Amino acid sequence: MTPDNSGYMIAAYALAALVYGAYVLSLKVRERRLRARLSRFESPARPASNRPAGA
Amino acid sequence: MTSAPAPLVAARPRRDLLLPISILAVALVYVRALAFTPIEARQGAAQKIMYVHATSAFIALYVAFVLLAISSLLYLWLKDEKLDRVAESAAEVGLVFTTVVLITGPLWGKTIWGAWWTWDARLTATLFLWFLIVAYQLMRGAVEERGRRARYSAVIGILAAPLVPFIHLSVYLFRTLHPMPILLKPSAPSMPREMVTTFVLSFLAFTLLFIALMRERYRLATLRDRVEGHEGEHA
Repeated sequence: MTPDNSGYMIAAYALAALVYGAYVLSLKVRERRLRARLSRFESPARPASNRPAGA
Repeated sequence: MTSAPAPLVAARPRRDLLLPISILAVALVYVRALAFTPIEARQGAAQKIMYVHATSAFIALYVAFVLLAISSLLYLWLKDEKLDRVAESAAEVGLVFTTVVLITGPLWGKTIWGAWWTWDARLTATLFLWFLIVAYQLMRGAVEERGRRARYSAVIGILAAPLVPFIHLSVYLFRTLHPMPILLKPSAPSMPREMVTTFVLSFLAFTLLFIALMRERYRLATLRDRVEGHEGEHA
């Protein structure tokens, strides 16, 4: 007779999704924090000037 | 004439579709495994844990930790910071995959063995490897000097490598409750074709997820090194 243990299967799939999902989220949060820190050092790229040289 | 202000170079994340595609692939494998793959008669639905457990274990052991060992070894030889970044990325992503293995394994084991855990060779060695990689992460966080951090972690990364063949061979060398391989063996797989197909698709989806996570983590390490470089200049 086939045992009914689908609860264990659902728990395993849910927990695996939770672990992988939490890791993706942690990567995104860390990236955002690093970009905020980096923006303090790397200034905005200057737009090219339309004025002729020496003007 | 005024032109629109240019966006901050540092604040513009690159658009990368690999991660969303890999997440979608894993989601599709979930649907196939849960809804369209037959239930094994003796083990019941819990046997489907294999599609997450075994694939995560395979990628952690034979991809992530082998990559960790190779890049660590090459770092000690070539002293290239890129190799250190590959090593730290492989260790962290491998740790996540091993965590999934150690969570899903007991859930499967409880239904088959009647016990959440047993201190047999394969399970114990996998847990030991998990602790070793946690120690690797803690050490990386504790050592500030970049060169020394890379050297120390390369040594731990290499020391972890022998555990991979040990874990693989443990089911042959010791009396263990853990089943023998049913796919990666010289003879034909001991599973129906539908289950083998789901397993192969799961393996491909989780491999894609591993590659996407590695890329993201490597990019994060590069960004951190840039930030630390600037902060070092301004200190």
